[in-house]
Amino acid sequence: MAGDEKLIESIVGRYDGEVGMLIPMMQDVQAEYGYLPVKQLRLLSKQLEVPLSRLFAVATFYSSFRLAPKGAHEVTLCMGTVCYLKGAGGICEAICKEFRVEPGGTTRDRLFSFQAVNCVGACALAPVMVVDGKYYDGATAESAIEILHSLEPAEETAETSAKETAT
Amino acid sequence: MPTVIIDGQKVEVERDATVLDAAKKAGVWIPTLCYHPAVSISGSCRVCMVELDRGDWRQLITACNYPVRRDIVVYISSDRAERARRGVMELLLARSPESPELKELAERMGVKSTPYPTVTESQRSCILCGLCIAVCEDIIGKAAIGYAGRGVDRTVASPFRQPSEDCIGCGACAAVCPVGTIKVRVHEEQEEVEISPFKSRGKLLVCEQCRAPIVSTQVGEQALGKVEMNREEFRELMRLCPKCRRSKTAARLEAGNIDKQRGGRVVS
Repeated sequence: MAGDEKLIESIVGRYDGEVGMLIPMMQDVQAEYGYLPVKQLRLLSKQLEVPLSRLFAVATFYSSFRLAPKGAHEVTLCMGTVCYLKGAGGICEAICKEFRVEPGGTTRDRLFSFQAVNCVGACALAPVMVVDGKYYDGATAESAIEILHSLEPAEETAETSAKETAT
Repeated sequence: MPTVIIDGQKVEVERDATVLDAAKKAGVWIPTLCYHPAVSISGSCRVCMVELDRGDWRQLITACNYPVRRDIVVYISSDRAERARRGVMELLLARSPESPELKELAERMGVKSTPYPTVTESQRSCILCGLCIAVCEDIIGKAAIGYAGRGVDRTVASPFRQPSEDCIGCGACAAVCPVGTIKVRVHEEQEEVEISPFKSRGKLLVCEQCRAPIVSTQVGEQALGKVEMNREEFRELMRLCPKCRRSKTAARLEAGNIDKQRGGRVVS
């Protein structure tokens, strides 16, 4: 696993090992792996001589950092004022219950990452759910769950799980 | 030396002393929670707010980190200052409603209960003052814990919310926690010390004679590294609990050979 170490080293090198460039470095790590793996953060912490607790604080402070791999699909539920008044809260609860996921989290089978956002700017279509960039208008708890159940698990996930079982 | 007039009472303090220092000198009590002389001041708990006279208006400031650079007039027991502090205390009580330490301070400030809804168990009765984080990083030099999350979800946590590898189980965080939320748990049967709620565990150094726990092994090592005295006798004593250490020293004293060993005079 010297490859990981080399990669982190090269990322640190890009910024001359400047501790103040920690966030860009973490962004680069995330660009490389799709999320921030524990091992890579540990390596980064060691190389920069910055406590791991600091990296964790930064990683959890910014919502664009992920500590777990992204799901195969991206699901965004609008919780803006209009959508909320038209029942987005109930839809959110229903999705969380059905797929055992939390806003900001990813389902266990990595089918999708779920995000509840404040407004997607399509209030006339409320309540709105966005799946991989496609807008679904007038969503209900039932229709949302139906749409999500019809999502195909990506090959990527199948590959990674195959790899996981192989090792 | 600038003069501070606190509720009409005059005190002189060094330049850059804080309003809190001045109040202490004047013998006036200001409640504090996140203030600790051992670590850098963060002014995060806001419970020490007082009023500063700005001529035609009065400003609310935190006493613990307001430096005195000129002659100033502050009011500690004015209506507005007391109301501000009580308001803060009510908010803090909502975060840590079960803490005996906090309840005691609230009572002393005349706050009986909080009108706010209390926080969930997941936030673990923490007022987020940051003292534990500061002491772990500045004094112990480990930074085993830090803030995690943001806004209402902010908590103090070890990295990835897992037992921290950097934690040496010294318990400094528990010692400074003003609301008694961080605790040192001793698991005698496993001879381990646990820092709760971070779940960090460390092996305990136990007394060779009576098996009583002394400190975590890592703290023992760190302590040995700090003293220059590197004699076998000292190492031997380190393996005993304070009680056994005392009785061993006492026995030696009785035998009259302790000072001889140290190369000193024999005291009769």
